[in-house]
Amino acid sequence: MLSQLGFVVLAGIKFGALYALTALGLVVVHKATKTVNFAHGAFAMLGAFGSFLIVVNWGWPYWAAYLMIPIAIGVIAATIEFLILRRLRQADMFTVVIATVFLGIALSEGFRLTYNTELLAVPSLFAAPPFIVAGVVITRDTMWVIVGALLAALACIAVFRYGRIGRGMRAMAANIRGAQLCGYSIDGVYMLAWFLGGVLAGLTGVFIAPVTGVSVDLSIAIITAGFVAGVIGGFDSPRGAVLGGLLLGVAESLSAAYGSSAMKNCISFLLLFLVLMWRPQGLFPERSGRSV
Amino acid sequence: MSERRLGGRPDLTALGPALLVLVCTAVGLGLDSYPQYVIAVATISMVVGIALVVLVGLARCITLASGSIMAIGGYASTLAVANLHLPYLVTLVLAILAGGVAGWIIAFPGTRFRGHNLAMVTLVFQSVAIILIREATWLTGGAEGIHVPPPEIFGLVIASDRAFLILIGTASAVMTLAVTILVRGPFGKNLQAVAGNEIAAEAFGASVRGYLTAAFVVSSVAIAFAGALLAPRVRILDPDSFGVLDSVFMLAYPIIGGMHSVWGGLLGGGGLRVLPELLRPVADYQELFFAALVIFVVMFFPGGLTELIRRTTSTFKQHPTRVSASSSALPACAAVSFETGQRADELLVVKGVDKHFEALHAVNAASLSVPMGGIHGLIGPNGAGKTSLFNIISGFLAADGGRVAFAGTSLLELRPRDRIGLGITRTFQNVAIFGQLSCLDNVIIGLGRNPVIHAMAASLDHFVGGAATQDAKHRALVALEAVGLADHGTSRAGSLSLGAQRRLEIARAIVSQPRLILLDEPVSGVAESETEELRDLLIRINAERNIALLVVEHNIPFVAKLCQSLSVMGAGRIVAQGSPAEVISLPIVRQLYFGEQVTA
Repeated sequence: MLSQLGFVVLAGIKFGALYALTALGLVVVHKATKTVNFAHGAFAMLGAFGSFLIVVNWGWPYWAAYLMIPIAIGVIAATIEFLILRRLRQADMFTVVIATVFLGIALSEGFRLTYNTELLAVPSLFAAPPFIVAGVVITRDTMWVIVGALLAALACIAVFRYGRIGRGMRAMAANIRGAQLCGYSIDGVYMLAWFLGGVLAGLTGVFIAPVTGVSVDLSIAIITAGFVAGVIGGFDSPRGAVLGGLLLGVAESLSAAYGSSAMKNCISFLLLFLVLMWRPQGLFPERSGRSV
Repeated sequence: MSERRLGGRPDLTALGPALLVLVCTAVGLGLDSYPQYVIAVATISMVVGIALVVLVGLARCITLASGSIMAIGGYASTLAVANLHLPYLVTLVLAILAGGVAGWIIAFPGTRFRGHNLAMVTLVFQSVAIILIREATWLTGGAEGIHVPPPEIFGLVIASDRAFLILIGTASAVMTLAVTILVRGPFGKNLQAVAGNEIAAEAFGASVRGYLTAAFVVSSVAIAFAGALLAPRVRILDPDSFGVLDSVFMLAYPIIGGMHSVWGGLLGGGGLRVLPELLRPVADYQELFFAALVIFVVMFFPGGLTELIRRTTSTFKQHPTRVSASSSALPACAAVSFETGQRADELLVVKGVDKHFEALHAVNAASLSVPMGGIHGLIGPNGAGKTSLFNIISGFLAADGGRVAFAGTSLLELRPRDRIGLGITRTFQNVAIFGQLSCLDNVIIGLGRNPVIHAMAASLDHFVGGAATQDAKHRALVALEAVGLADHGTSRAGSLSLGAQRRLEIARAIVSQPRLILLDEPVSGVAESETEELRDLLIRINAERNIALLVVEHNIPFVAKLCQSLSVMGAGRIVAQGSPAEVISLPIVRQLYFGEQVTA
């Protein structure tokens, strides 16, 4: 009984870690550029597709996927920022949201047309038998996803908080004119934010590929979960995004195990609704002690 | 132009869109059964298109829930026919009701958000509604779908493509007419005003949440109606035909067709529904093509096809109106004698108002009063608390303590939009005109007849050319004339110069015949020559219409010549009051306000 609960919670944490990584990507772009990238799910799906190409089609080792795909997706994201969103910088949020929604559709349709199948399976990383701790079965893949995704998220938070890149992005978010006067270029910082968002999306894709396989539906599934996780945590807080992702993953897993699959689908929306109505700043917002 | 429209004739152009739908239907009657099918579903998409013009184009709310609303309409009608054995036409009314309720449910949380959060709220509704339909197998047949019986109208069974086309085309035309009437009248204008400038809309009595809710309800009613028309046409109704992707592609209708007019919705809905039928050989690429098309339109032709057409044709029709020509035509200032000795009854009394922002005591026991028909100025250096005090009086900021009374009524408990009913209007520091609307429509909003239901009724009155519409136009024209903008009634307000926009704001503020106008830095950013004209204009309005003015302003020469009395603020307190000449010569004022540079 207890071991089943442990298994369910662990599965929840696994998905939660993936949601956390997705939400972090959304939050990083939002913090720097004040736009929510609805194409983020499509970026992650392209990342998952990329690992299918590398691991299955070309038979290269897994570490090549982990190395190449985040960078590739980052470059794609930065290019899209350069080609499309830069032209919309004067437009209002409304227009930008619409543009990224349809950008996501265009990317996933592009994938569907080039690879017209229902689902592409990607093999798991480890063939060795799972651990059994106190009656709970823990596969090596689960361990790897949880540890790897969370470490990547922490590294990203560190870069954002302490790196020069992160400082520029935070400055830009706080006061765009002031940041410009301090020598940060808008174009540079926005492109960098999209690159970093793309890297995170690509990483999400590589981590998720063996878990769910690759399909067109992945795009919408990822963006919804990531967005809900971000809102739960507080859309301006990287730390909140990670905690929100974990919370969402566990809540989904529990309601699927002890409720029904329909309930699993509804729980994320229920959480989103409750948070938006009663605590729109999120459960773990950034401390705002600096305001006068 | 606008004079001619005063004749009280019905607004026949509102019939255009519905006529287009009927013409499409009539053309279809002469064609084969497959084109008849295509035209029937295209007219349904036209209805969806104009519904989304209301919500997306005019109210600027993003919705990803259109698919679920359509499903709700379809299921409401079908289930009522199948289980309650109601006549099909009656179930159309049920579908409308169900759509209205659904729209209200989305709007309840939805109107608290804009942009991406609103998109997500609607996505939540979409997903949950479809999940519920799929899970309620006992009622809806679940994912398998439900068989829709052919509609029966007065004993006539609709089964052939031709009969379906007649039914669907006619019904679509009726809904198109209804929505067009709303859009072309004050309801549509006010929606644009709310989307364009929420604060100004509230100040003139238009509730932002009320209008956005109405936009959701109206568009959902039309979309649910479209769903009820579609249901018997597709024969099997299943939840997965109304998914998120369908909602996203419906969102493309107004974006590609044109967001600011009913024609755009018709063009986008009809066009995007017919195009895939024409592109059958390359059907696989249509979603990619649509998505790319939307991005292209958003990047290069914001406003969509109709906006593009309007812009290319209007360069021939209308020259951009030159404003400087008419500003010189402003009548000279009438000689006004101030009876400063005589204290009239006090109109506005501010007593001991306090406001803290955490540690900052922004307004400290401030008191002032404006006499009936007087002109009072509020000056002070940056950070003195003028704007805070002004916002407390105008209702956009809550006071921590004190009293603000207008002709005996306490103002502090009232919302901004309640003030216009008492006879208080305002202008804004950063001009807050409704740029999308014509000058005349801007001023008509200033009449303050803007509760949602009232505006809907006024839209009907506008359509039939009724007395209320004539009266509103007449009053607005008089107000425009008073500020010297009579020639610009039909010009888009956004195309005016800053000085003319300031005068338009004044016209909007005086049209309701208020007793007090609050002017927030009326000449900031205005050219020197126009400053004098504005001052003369304000003095004339005060004298001729007996409207009291309370002016917050930085420009001391302007205030000194305009006002009969002044209050000077410094560090949250009122430090001096009196006539301009007295006040400005006080040492404390010179020290506080002018520093070393004595200019006045």
